Amino acid sequence: MVEILSVLADGIAQTVQITLASFVVAAVLGLPLAVMRMADSWLIRLPAVLAVEILRAVPPIVWLFLVYFSLGSSDHVQLSTFQAAVIGLGLIYAAHLSEAYRAGLDAVPTGQWEAARALALPRYQSYRRVILPQTLMVVVPPMATFAIALLKDSAIASVIGATDITFQAVQLTQQDLNGLGNFAVAGLLYIALGLPFAALARGADRVLSRRLAGA
Amino acid sequence: MQGRSMSTTSNALLSLDGVCVAYRQHEVVHDVSLDVAAGEVVALIGPSGAGKSSLLRAINFLEPPSKGRILLEGREVGGTRRSLDALRRDVGMVFQSFNLFPHLTALENVMLAPVHTLGVPTEQARDRAMKQLAHVGLADHADVKPSKCSGGQQQRIAIARALAMEPKVMLFDEPTSSLDPELGAEVLATMRTLAGEGMTMVVVTHEMHFAEDVADRVVFMADGRVVEVNSAGKLMRDPKHPRTQRFLDAVRNR
Repeated sequence: MVEILSVLADGIAQTVQITLASFVVAAVLGLPLAVMRMADSWLIRLPAVLAVEILRAVPPIVWLFLVYFSLGSSDHVQLSTFQAAVIGLGLIYAAHLSEAYRAGLDAVPTGQWEAARALALPRYQSYRRVILPQTLMVVVPPMATFAIALLKDSAIASVIGATDITFQAVQLTQQDLNGLGNFAVAGLLYIALGLPFAALARGADRVLSRRLAGA
Repeated sequence: MQGRSMSTTSNALLSLDGVCVAYRQHEVVHDVSLDVAAGEVVALIGPSGAGKSSLLRAINFLEPPSKGRILLEGREVGGTRRSLDALRRDVGMVFQSFNLFPHLTALENVMLAPVHTLGVPTEQARDRAMKQLAHVGLADHADVKPSKCSGGQQQRIAIARALAMEPKVMLFDEPTSSLDPELGAEVLATMRTLAGEGMTMVVVTHEMHFAEDVADRVVFMADGRVVEVNSAGKLMRDPKHPRTQRFLDAVRNR
């Protein structure tokens, strides 16, 4: 058990890095996707809708291979497996998060938009000062759920050679043939890594609801 | 066309010229023309579904008119964002449901647009906002979130928020309809003060006393059309049109 753990522990850093970096990419790209999908003009809406649908329709493992074999090994671009994994997972989760953002934006009553418009607030300021602060509380819980899902999906990165927990478990099993033990420990590691995300989400949720209640 | 625009620009601060409002194919306001002079208070009354709110919301393009023109100080409001924003800077709006920003304090609500729409420096905007809150009698509520205020206080904060833009016209969309009578009274008192100070106001209301006492002119609407326009005293006490008579009788005999 301790021996297995000491080998798999080499993958923890990579798993955490892929998860966090992909989440940042997803969180940043998801917002413009959500805003574009709410645009009045279909010219702006269409590319966002297409992107989200395609990203969600293709299995993550296929998507990672696509990114890896296009950007990871062309003559012009040479992405590391880490970079390819972050781009691939980041894009998929940007599509997921854009849905969460959109739900958050939809939850803001139309009266808030109208008040901002009646005050001639510039569009950017309307989002920044009026709309987004009110979406945060709605968006944080699903974001935390997606963060945990992303942590688990990061295991797929091992197929393109990212040296994460799952990669270490596969390697170790090829040597010692103790698949059950190795992957059971891997599973426990993923559970342990997910706990702080869950706690973080609950904490953020508490702080935000307190702040919005105006205490 | 020439003659028409001449008549609508004659010393009116705000002119509606042949305004129609439609939702999809369904027209709810038909061909309304109305001039509002500077300092005038105009009340829009009529049964619900008459198109009063739609007409009011057409003035600042929250519902863009499907036909017709809006002119402020004789200048036609165009369809561009810049033209709309110029109009909205000069036209304050108070909503039935207040629409205060719940995550901001009263003071922050009032300061927001002066800072971010007009570019007033923060300290100056704070002074301006405090002055407006004092004006509606809520200087002591500056640091309170809307959720901690009564409905009447929330609506007065919303009035202060609109006033902080130093508008030329104030639009009120049934400002007391979601308040109980006692809280409504404090909002009406604030509006009375504003009218007394010479603010130009267009008010959609079901408060007949307010229309009669405070408005200079009353517009009676039914089925998307203006049925009758007259000075408040005449329209309320001596309505000419049978539809107006029926409405006023029904409201008074309630």
